[in-house]
Amino acid sequence: MALVSADSQIAEYLTELHQLIKQTQEERSRSEHNLLNIQKTHERMQTENKTSPYYRTKLRGLYTTAKADAEAECSILRHALQKIADIKKLLEERRIAAKMAGVYSDSDPPRKTMRRGVLMTLLQQSAMTLPLWIGKPGDSPPPLCGAIPASSDYVAKPGDKVAARVKAMDGDEQWILAEVVSYNHSTNKYEVDDIDEEGKERHTLSRRRIIPLPQWKANPETDPEALFSKDHLVLALYPQTTCFYRALIHTPPQRPQDDYSVLFEDTSYADGYSPPLNVAQRYVVACKENKKK
Amino acid sequence: MSELKDCPPLKYYDFKPVEHVKVCPRYTAVLSRSDDDGIGIEELDTLQLELETLLSSAIRRLRALEEQRQILTDWQDKKGDKRFLKPGKEADLMATPRHSKPKKQKLDGKGSHGPGPGPGRPKSKNLQPKIQEYEFNEDPQDIPRNPKNDTPNRFWASVEPYCADITNEEIRVLEELLKVPEDEAEYYKVHYNVHNKHVVLQVPALGKHYSQRWAQEDLLEEQRDGARANEKKKGVMGPLSELDAKDVDALLKKSESQHDPPEDGCPFGPLTQRLLQALVEENIISPMEDSPIPDVSGKDVGNDGASTSPRSQGKPFSVPHTRSLEMRIKEELVSQGLLDAEERQGAGGDSEDEVLAELHKRQAELKALSMHNRTRKQELLRLAKEEMRKQELRQRVRVSDNEVMEAFRRIMAARQKKRTPTKKEKDQAWKALRERESILKLLDG
Repeated sequence: MALVSADSQIAEYLTELHQLIKQTQEERSRSEHNLLNIQKTHERMQTENKTSPYYRTKLRGLYTTAKADAEAECSILRHALQKIADIKKLLEERRIAAKMAGVYSDSDPPRKTMRRGVLMTLLQQSAMTLPLWIGKPGDSPPPLCGAIPASSDYVAKPGDKVAARVKAMDGDEQWILAEVVSYNHSTNKYEVDDIDEEGKERHTLSRRRIIPLPQWKANPETDPEALFSKDHLVLALYPQTTCFYRALIHTPPQRPQDDYSVLFEDTSYADGYSPPLNVAQRYVVACKENKKK
Repeated sequence: MSELKDCPPLKYYDFKPVEHVKVCPRYTAVLSRSDDDGIGIEELDTLQLELETLLSSAIRRLRALEEQRQILTDWQDKKGDKRFLKPGKEADLMATPRHSKPKKQKLDGKGSHGPGPGPGRPKSKNLQPKIQEYEFNEDPQDIPRNPKNDTPNRFWASVEPYCADITNEEIRVLEELLKVPEDEAEYYKVHYNVHNKHVVLQVPALGKHYSQRWAQEDLLEEQRDGARANEKKKGVMGPLSELDAKDVDALLKKSESQHDPPEDGCPFGPLTQRLLQALVEENIISPMEDSPIPDVSGKDVGNDGASTSPRSQGKPFSVPHTRSLEMRIKEELVSQGLLDAEERQGAGGDSEDEVLAELHKRQAELKALSMHNRTRKQELLRLAKEEMRKQELRQRVRVSDNEVMEAFRRIMAARQKKRTPTKKEKDQAWKALRERESILKLLDG
């Protein structure tokens, strides 16, 4: 029953999204003309190498119009992105509901039979499509955007991906990629599933052992302060694994879709660090423990 | 500057919109679709990325426009004010990100007036580890990444001692080395007196053979154990235990006496035997060997009769004085001049001792080596002393060099003042020159 209503809701959203995208393009074509005008004015001003009051006033007018256009474009784009997020949220809710009910829907094949390569692709995919946080001018990035940690009273929601510190069979502690199942407010403990062996291993961990993963990518072009800077000590998901290891940031991403390049602590290399490896923004979190220092 | 007055510090950004046909193929495809076709769920991810790209570019454009417009407004409002030159330059938006404040500052700022009115305590809690991380983050990276190259310094530091002047301290160390160490002298002592030239290490006399010593120790151990056991049962068999102790003593003595004689079975030393042999005429013994009757006596002399029981074998020959007899004969022979003291060791039967032979061999090697070292050390000392003298001379050369230079400078100064140098100055110069030459001669000589 719930699933059916979700389906129709999704269909509705998709249609709305389509409309929004069309509007976006209308907005864009409208502003294009103005931008072209600015371009021409720029060129003329530069060739004359002097700004007459006429050009200044003209340019100012053009800038104001272009700004209004850009604002409109931004707002409609945000709207569209919000729509996508809404749809994804519905899909996610459906997935969790299906999981809870022990039923696997067609779009979410049984995890147990999932091969490792498929899991890795999925993880990569989810990292890629982590929404980019694009604030309005003057906004500062919210918690859980890029390197900005969650507020201390933040509680991860079921289905959220987290880094969880668990004890392995051999007694070693490891940060694994896990998915929140539930949070018990009275004991302050999370129940999480190991992403790799879903259903097999369920851990109950205190909140200290949980680090929520970022929910937005930070945009290096607009909010570089929300990224880990070079040489920052972090926990990063080692490529092709579901474990987090200590690493130093080698280079932060340059563009929104870029990954971090990190150096993992690795004693098998002469200088104690692995060569630079790429890790998506989603799988890089601040390293709390400094026991080695 | 005048040029700037006419021309506001505009960037003339390229505000070209994103070419969505190239950069955003999915977006373009969706645009061309009719409403009925709609969008598939599987397209959402790609679409999201493309929309993000568009939004990101739009935001950047928005910011740039705002900034440029502000510049224009400011410039018009306060013409000629150079101050806004700065903001214009600073906001190099397209190239570098706008919020390029240092992170630390940002964090600090967050602590004081962070967004959202979160509870005070957790906020600071959150902030603290963050700052800590920044602090230690600077060094761990640098250490493994670019190690300082101080190899040249280390190399020159290692070479330095070989080029440095020789000091008195070093000479003293050399002399100290040349002195024969005291403990060594003790080893040499005995033979220093006898043969002054030959240094022979004294070899301590042979102790008991280990097999004997161990056997004895074992016996003693058992004895002690037995005594302990007896003490427990003393009331029952007191006299018996006493008897046991006596028995053990007897056994001990017996074993000692059995082990005492040399392997050839004769308790007498080689010198005693030789002396006796020399004293007994050969032709008396030889017929005895031929005759079948004195078999027993012959065996007694040789002391290796198979027929004699082990008990009777030891007894007649366990003479306690064989050793002292041997020693006395040795002394007597030496004092008579029949035996050389040097020969004593070879004649003493010790020559058959492999360990001793090896010891002697090694000692000879050691001797040769130490002699060699000694000559080397002497040579080194001689060279060092010579070098010291030269050093002294060189020092003096330096001093006189300075004097010569001083004189030269004085004369040059005089020349510059267009006056002939005084006689005193000339004399001084000559004196310095001559002195220097004489020292150089000494050095060469």
